[in-house]
Amino acid sequence: MYTIEGVAAGILMIVTAYLVVSTTTVLTPQDVHIIDMQLQQLGNDALAMMDTPDNYGPYSPLTYMIMTNNSSSFRQEFLSFVNNATNIDTSGNDRDRLNYTASFTYWNVTNQPNTISFGGSTYYRENAVKVTRWVYLPPFNPTGYPADMNSNTNQTVLLEVLLWRE
Amino acid sequence: MARVNEDAQWIVMLGFIISIILIFLALIVNQSALIGKTTAESVLEFPKSDIQDTRAEILEYYWNGTINQSDLEPYLSNLSLERKGTIVSYDYNSTENSIAIHYNDGSTEYNEMVREP
Repeated sequence: MYTIEGVAAGILMIVTAYLVVSTTTVLTPQDVHIIDMQLQQLGNDALAMMDTPDNYGPYSPLTYMIMTNNSSSFRQEFLSFVNNATNIDTSGNDRDRLNYTASFTYWNVTNQPNTISFGGSTYYRENAVKVTRWVYLPPFNPTGYPADMNSNTNQTVLLEVLLWRE
Repeated sequence: MARVNEDAQWIVMLGFIISIILIFLALIVNQSALIGKTTAESVLEFPKSDIQDTRAEILEYYWNGTINQSDLEPYLSNLSLERKGTIVSYDYNSTENSIAIHYNDGSTEYNEMVREP
């Protein structure tokens, strides 16, 4: 009479044991990837906005910033984009806390890649994502840059920004 | 000898059914932990922004009239290979006024033929 209960209990125990054994134990928090995804999209959007000319004709703000080696202007504009929050109090304190460090790579006159820093804060191994943007440069006067940089031709440099939440 | 009293058999039956339901609920919880991870990972892996950026850069060459400059492409393709491990190339056909864009990062390949009027 109690055979069916016995069999059911046996099946239950076997299935439970199977579930426990077959479930891979993942100890890292799973939503880290979702935060990475959102951070990456935010950074890419900010760079895309900065690489868009403000009005028809001239080059984008990002192009001008790299041409003039103006990393402080880049810092101000980039942080104002990524830290923009809807609930800002009048003193401007209630902002998001994202930080970055930037560098860009150019192809030098001896056909080698060369990476130089383009400002940002010190990176202490926070959980960070990297976003990149191609920046078009017309011929310019490379003030403050290494001498091996091409200056008399149109070129493209790769801006790389490491972005993290403090 | 007293008969076995089976009046409470339904309680055992109910426990049995509930435990089966619990197993399926546990299965759902078990899977849901992985769903956010796999979705986010596949979004992160797909180079959407890379492709948009590369495309925008090449079209910028077109719009500022430098796409015919033969030494412009190596900057893009060399840096791309060096820093991202991605193959990027484009070819401008001046008679048809079209740009063929090629992008390959090893897992995603993207080809586009842009025809400008």
